[in-house]
Amino acid sequence: MSTADAGPVPERRRSVRQDAAGLGRRLAPLDVVICCGSGGVGKTTVSAALGMAIAAAEDKRVLVLTVDPARRLATALGIKGIGAEPVRIPKARLHRAGITITGELEAAMLDMKQAWDRMIERYSPDRATAQRILRNPLYQRITDSFVGSHEYAAIEALYELHDAGEYDCIVVDTPPSRNALDFLEAPSRLTDYVGSRLLSLLSGGPSRFGFRAMNYAAAPFLRLADRLLGAEVLAEVSDFVQQLQLLYDGIQGRARSVYRLLRSPQTGFVVVTTLEPGPFSEAEFFCTKLREFKMPLRAVVVNRVLPDVFRDAGGFAAATALVDDPKIAAWLSQELHIRVSSDSARFIGKTYLTRTTLAQREARQLAKLSRLGEVPIVRMPLFSEEVSELEGLVRIAKTL
Amino acid sequence: MSSPAGTPQRSWRPSTAVRRAIAGERIDLATLLARRVIFVAGKGGTGRSTMTAALALLGARAGKRVLAIDVDAKGDLAAALGSPPAGFTPRVVQHDLSVLELRTDESFQEYLNIYFKVPRVTRLTPLARVFDFIATGVPGPRDMLVVGKIAYEERRKERESRAPVWDLIVVDCAAGGQVESHLAAAKAMLSLVRGGIIRAQVEWIDGLVRDPQRTTVVLCALPEEMPVVEAIELHDRLRKGAGVAVDMCVLNRAVDEPVTAAHRRLMKALVDPEHADVVVQQLGGAPAPLEAGIDLQAHLYDTTARYMRMLRSKLPMPVVPVPFIVDRTGLTTTRAVADALSSRLA
Ligand SMILES: Nc1ncnc2c1ncn2[C@@H]1O[C@H](COP(=O)(O)OP(=O)(O)OP(=O)(O)O)[C@@H](O)[C@H]1O
Ligand SMILES: Nc1ncnc2c1ncn2[C@@H]1O[C@H](COP(=O)(O)OP(=O)(O)OP(=O)(O)O)[C@@H](O)[C@H]1O
Ligand SMILES: [Mg+2]
Ligand SMILES: [Mg+2]
Repeated sequence: MSTADAGPVPERRRSVRQDAAGLGRRLAPLDVVICCGSGGVGKTTVSAALGMAIAAAEDKRVLVLTVDPARRLATALGIKGIGAEPVRIPKARLHRAGITITGELEAAMLDMKQAWDRMIERYSPDRATAQRILRNPLYQRITDSFVGSHEYAAIEALYELHDAGEYDCIVVDTPPSRNALDFLEAPSRLTDYVGSRLLSLLSGGPSRFGFRAMNYAAAPFLRLADRLLGAEVLAEVSDFVQQLQLLYDGIQGRARSVYRLLRSPQTGFVVVTTLEPGPFSEAEFFCTKLREFKMPLRAVVVNRVLPDVFRDAGGFAAATALVDDPKIAAWLSQELHIRVSSDSARFIGKTYLTRTTLAQREARQLAKLSRLGEVPIVRMPLFSEEVSELEGLVRIAKTL
Repeated sequence: MSSPAGTPQRSWRPSTAVRRAIAGERIDLATLLARRVIFVAGKGGTGRSTMTAALALLGARAGKRVLAIDVDAKGDLAAALGSPPAGFTPRVVQHDLSVLELRTDESFQEYLNIYFKVPRVTRLTPLARVFDFIATGVPGPRDMLVVGKIAYEERRKERESRAPVWDLIVVDCAAGGQVESHLAAAKAMLSLVRGGIIRAQVEWIDGLVRDPQRTTVVLCALPEEMPVVEAIELHDRLRKGAGVAVDMCVLNRAVDEPVTAAHRRLMKALVDPEHADVVVQQLGGAPAPLEAGIDLQAHLYDTTARYMRMLRSKLPMPVVPVPFIVDRTGLTTTRAVADALSSRLA
């Protein structure tokens, strides 16, 4: 028996469920659905399931744009070669797994490098500039590792796909990051970087003889960099920054249209969280930020919630008796006609009480959810079996 | 165990204690705490801060003067030690135990100050930002801020006695693979810096980091796919890439009490309709929900066991389970984790 659906379903839970029923239908009219949340909470799983739920609810062409370094999702969806090119998930396969979709469901994986390269090509005033940047040894490392670079690539890919208009609805899985806000801030952060005054100071310098004659404000930094890295590296940096400045207008313009898309009434954010204190407070913070940025929050998915069977008063009493009553083992041995050790009795009581404690803690967290505003809140139970199988995804899609 | 490929000069040879530990799945605490610097690494949320704090407590308990360093600077490490957020200068949190938090701006200034004798200025923020940008593109400098500061603390001496200020430094690393760039930074810098005092300093730092007697890594994982996969990958890159020793891997939040046949038998009897009335009366409630607890326990135990096996088959070092601790308030959890570690490493 799976713990997820064990035991009675009390009233409160049913109402929450009903409220959430048809999240797929509710989100189906949107052009873009973005799943955000801190690392490991279930964004990839939920976005795949949402894609299914939307395609099941309406006859739409749905794309799930995922970022899944482990490629677990591809395996679960039964498609081997998931890459930047969208792959269709066969209807028959989904049907066999228990869900019938009326629309089309496709999945694509974000290709970081490709997204960045395309972006450089697009914003460069000419081919030569693009080539020069792409060839700069700093370029790859910078795009790999500056804060928000994955997020930026995801946003770019989303924007392009949306622009091309091939899909009715694009569900976006966001990259694992410590800070979900990185996603929202990525475009402006990039604009800031490229436009920063100090970068322009840097970019003015000729490289060969160092920067000693340069602007006073940048002098200490350049002296340091020179000592630290040597003139050769500095020359590379300078060249790179110089070229990057040429892209500024393009990047700034794009950032503006991206924010317009993210704020559009045709876009919806779905915040995914668990009830662990860390991810939960991050989700709360993220929801506030969305409101501040005027970006539309459409639902909160609370994942891995302990099932209500662990909030049962009778169960609690029985478990407490098994743990606390010193004579209980003897009594049980006599009444049940089996040998019962007090260790066994205590073990059974204790395993239940442990989950009760956690379920109570979760309930306190859940109570705080109302602070997040008037959005549907979907509780996704903690499944005992792996959700990395297609059947598991379908189960989640149906809960949505 | 054969010596790892691709580690020049000082390939990691486990000490006798560690070899014995591998054979018997144990490493003794004294060996671990005798290191100068322990880096605690792993995927986000695996319990790095808690583990760092626990090791620091154990060090202090063993009579060492311990410094715990938070590279992430979210304030979690101080909280795990039951202390308000610390700053860039070590803050005493209890007898023989201090904590400090690295932040980019401050680290940058300190770095300039320590290694380049650049005086501290009040606002270096825009400069630090440009530095940040460039440092992401050039291997070395940004990570040097981190290891540089750690190495500086390692080398610090009491003014009079000239004894080291710290016996043990435990570092709460940033999530994921960043520890690798920290540990490889000095090595990378050596190829950039050709001479002068800086080179000597960088060489010294590199020597510290790659000396398995003095520096080690403790990996953290959870009984879940990604954290386990990341720990295994991180181990490979650390040993092959950075040439740094890894003493042990902790499987945190392990559920290590199995559900036995006797438990199942008792559970079955408890819900047997034949005795239902008397049982409910005696226990004060129907025991049926308890079965869900048993099922979840069995599932979590199986999951833990599966990932334990996976880690043990892939990692040539002791894998130590640390149980899931239910009462969760910073220092209480840390103490419980410390107790679990010390009983398993005794
Ligand atoms: N409701 C659930 N019950 C049980 N397991 C779940 C549930 N939801 C997700 N999982 C499992 O949790 C793990 C993490 O999920 P997932 O990869 O979707 O998270 P993520 O937020 O995309 O992570 P990352 O931030 O690393 O990209 C997976 O192994 C998944 O199968
Ligand atoms: N063995 C354990 N049992 C129960 N809870 C634990 C255990 N270890 C850690 N925790 C809790 O799990 C949460 C995450 O732990 P911690 O902050 O140490 O992880 P981290 O890897 O440092 O996370 P981050 O990536 O956010 O820095 C904390 O709330 C902590 O109290
Ligand atoms: Mg993911
Ligand atoms: Mg931490």
